[in-house]
Amino acid sequence: MEKTDLAVGDSTSLEIIFSTRHYNTRISKRPRITTNEGPPDKNVSIHATVIQRPDSAYPIIVKPYKLDISQFGERVRDRMRFTISNVSDKEVSLALVADLPRYAKIELPRKIGAGQSASGEISLLEEVLKQSFEKSFTIEIDGDAKTRFTVPVKRTVKEPTAGRAGAQGKTSGSE
Amino acid sequence: MTLFKTCKPNRLVGVMNKPVLATVIAAAVVLLASAVLAAPLMDIPEKEFDFGFVPQNSEVSHVFWIFNRGDDTLIIEKVVPG
Repeated sequence: MEKTDLAVGDSTSLEIIFSTRHYNTRISKRPRITTNEGPPDKNVSIHATVIQRPDSAYPIIVKPYKLDISQFGERVRDRMRFTISNVSDKEVSLALVADLPRYAKIELPRKIGAGQSASGEISLLEEVLKQSFEKSFTIEIDGDAKTRFTVPVKRTVKEPTAGRAGAQGKTSGSE
Repeated sequence: MTLFKTCKPNRLVGVMNKPVLATVIAAAVVLLASAVLAAPLMDIPEKEFDFGFVPQNSEVSHVFWIFNRGDDTLIIEKVVPG
């Protein structure tokens, strides 16, 4: 949460993180929010259908089903392409219902024909290139809230040159 | 020799005529009442989110927006996972 005290007319965002672990079913969670309004507390709800085999989902399959845009070297890694396959027998339309406005720009094909595949791309914003994070975006099929797919996005940043630079610093310091 | 003259007790009432005094009292009551009755009001336009299909062993997240539509500061004291 960005802030806990909201002046009159002010707003804040509350990020709910859900770890799917080894669940293999429909899961609902209702985090409880306590404020100085007094009782009763208020809730937000999240729902997810955790699947063991995303490669056999229907009507679309996203590959890879988790996007790992980690960077372990000096070479900047700021984008990744992914494939969406329509495994149904009719054309599907795709829409982003939850994206990553502060982290990345996501491009999706608007429609994919029956049995066809198309590419999408995620491009990280410059201001988050040095950050490690785990987020996600959600695709809705044919405007149906019951047919959604959430794609986890992970980025880990490790700079291998830090150790070498430290060693060099010691050397130069002893001279 | 007298340095200070005592005021007559009804002098204030004499200066302010009755309608003005009533208006001042009413305004004070309204101000006091609004201060006492001011309250925060939490508004969460989107209270529910469905991720749909999510792969096992992954972490997903969603951002909910919270607004204070009341007339006093809203303090979010705690959020307990459900």
